[in-house]
Amino acid sequence: MKPFRIATVVAALGVVAAHYLVFIYVPMEKTMGAAQRIYYFHVPSAMLFYLGIACCFVGSLGYLLTRKARWDVFAHAAAEVALVFGVVVLVTGPLWAKAAWSVWWKWEPRLTTMAILFLIFCAYWALRSFGGRTDGVRTFAAVLAVLGTPNIYFVNQAVKRWGGVHPPAVETTSEMKMVKWTCLAILMLVFTLLLILRYRARRESLAVLTLKRRFARLET
Amino acid sequence: MSYLHTVRTVLAKDLRTELRSKETLATLLLFGGVLTFILAFGLSNDPKMNRRIMPGAIWLAVLFTGTLGVGRTFAREAEDGAFAALVLSPAPRSAILLAKIIVNLMMTLIVMALVLPLMTMLLRVDLTDVLGPLILQLILGSVGFAVIGTPLAVMAVGARFAEVLLPMVIFPLVVPVLIAGVKGTGVLLGVTASVTEEPTVWLQMMLAFDVFYGTGGLLLFERMVSE
Repeated sequence: MKPFRIATVVAALGVVAAHYLVFIYVPMEKTMGAAQRIYYFHVPSAMLFYLGIACCFVGSLGYLLTRKARWDVFAHAAAEVALVFGVVVLVTGPLWAKAAWSVWWKWEPRLTTMAILFLIFCAYWALRSFGGRTDGVRTFAAVLAVLGTPNIYFVNQAVKRWGGVHPPAVETTSEMKMVKWTCLAILMLVFTLLLILRYRARRESLAVLTLKRRFARLET
Repeated sequence: MSYLHTVRTVLAKDLRTELRSKETLATLLLFGGVLTFILAFGLSNDPKMNRRIMPGAIWLAVLFTGTLGVGRTFAREAEDGAFAALVLSPAPRSAILLAKIIVNLMMTLIVMALVLPLMTMLLRVDLTDVLGPLILQLILGSVGFAVIGTPLAVMAVGARFAEVLLPMVIFPLVVPVLIAGVKGTGVLLGVTASVTEEPTVWLQMMLAFDVFYGTGGLLLFERMVSE
C-alpha cells in the first residue's frame, strides 16, 4: 500500500506543478496566444486516451483467448480510464478550435477518428454498466473492443479521402517541448494510478458478485 | 457435415420459416415504407435540394432497416429456446454465422429494393442513370453492415436492454461504410463537393471493410459464443 500512497502524493503535486508550467512558466505562443496553452493538456490526454484504448484492446483479446476474469477486469478498467481522458480531449479540443478556427468542430480525420472511437467506447461502457453482469455480456464487450479498435483505421482513411486538416504540433521553443513531455509524464502517472484503482475496485466488485451468487445457490 | 453444407442447411431453414411466416420481411418492408414517407415529409419538396439529400436518405434507410433486421437475427431461435441447441450442435459455429449474415444481407437488399423506387418517386430524384453503380454500392455497403451487425446481434442475445444497446454498438462501428456510401452516392449524383473523386475509391474502401470485418468476425466467432 505504501508505494501507491507515495505515488498519489507525487501525482497530486505534479498536477499542481503542471499548472504552474503551463500557465506561468512556458512562453506565450506568438500567433495563437493564450489559447495555445490548452495544447499541453490536450495532446497528452489524447495520447493517454489512445493508450487506454490499446490496453482495453489487449485485455479484451486476452479475455477472448484465455477466458481468465483478470483480463476482462483489466480491459474494463482501461476503458473507463480512457473515457476520462477522452472527455478531457473532447472538451479542450473544441475550446481551442473556437479560439483558433472560430468554429467548435471540423470534420477532419483526427477529430472524427477520436469522436467515433469515443462513441464506440461509450457503447462499451454502457454495455458493461447496463447490459447485466454475465459471461455473455463480458464476451460481447470484449468482441466490441476487439472489432471496434481497428475501426479507427477505416474511419481515418474515409475522412482523409474526403479531405481535412489538423494543425501540426507547434513547438517553437525547447521550453514548450519540455512542458509538453513533463505534462505527459505527470498525466501518465495519474493514468496509471486511476487504472490501478479501477482495476482493484472492479476486481473486488467481481469477487463480491461471485460470493453473492454462491450464497444464492446455497440457499436454494 | 461439411462447412458449406451447414451454411446451406441453416440458410434454407431460415428462408423456409421466413417464407412461411413472413413476419420479419413484412414488418421490415412496412418500416422501410414508413421511413421513406417520414423522410419525404421531414425533408424539402424541392427536387434539386432533394438530390443533395438523397445519398444521406438512402444510407440512413440502409442503416435503420438493417439494424432492425439484424436485431431479429436470432429472435425466432431465442423465442423457441432453440438458440442453445443451435450453438451446442457440432456444426462449425462460423458456418452458422455465415448463414445468418447471408439472411440479413438478403433482408436488407429486399427492403432496399422497395425503398429505393419509393424514394425516387416521393423525393422526385431520377436515379435511372446511376442505377447500376448505385446497386453495386448498396450491395457492398449492406455486406459491410451485415458482417458487423450479425455477430454483434448474436452476442446481444441474453443481454439486458439489447434492443437499445445493439444500435448503440453498431452505429459507430459502421461509420466507415456510411461515409463511403454517402460520399460515393454523392459522387454518382454529382452533389459531393469533391466531384473530381472517382466513385471507385469509395467502393474499394467498402470492399476492404467487408473483407476485414467478414474474415475477422468469422475467425473470432468460435471464441464468441462460449456456453
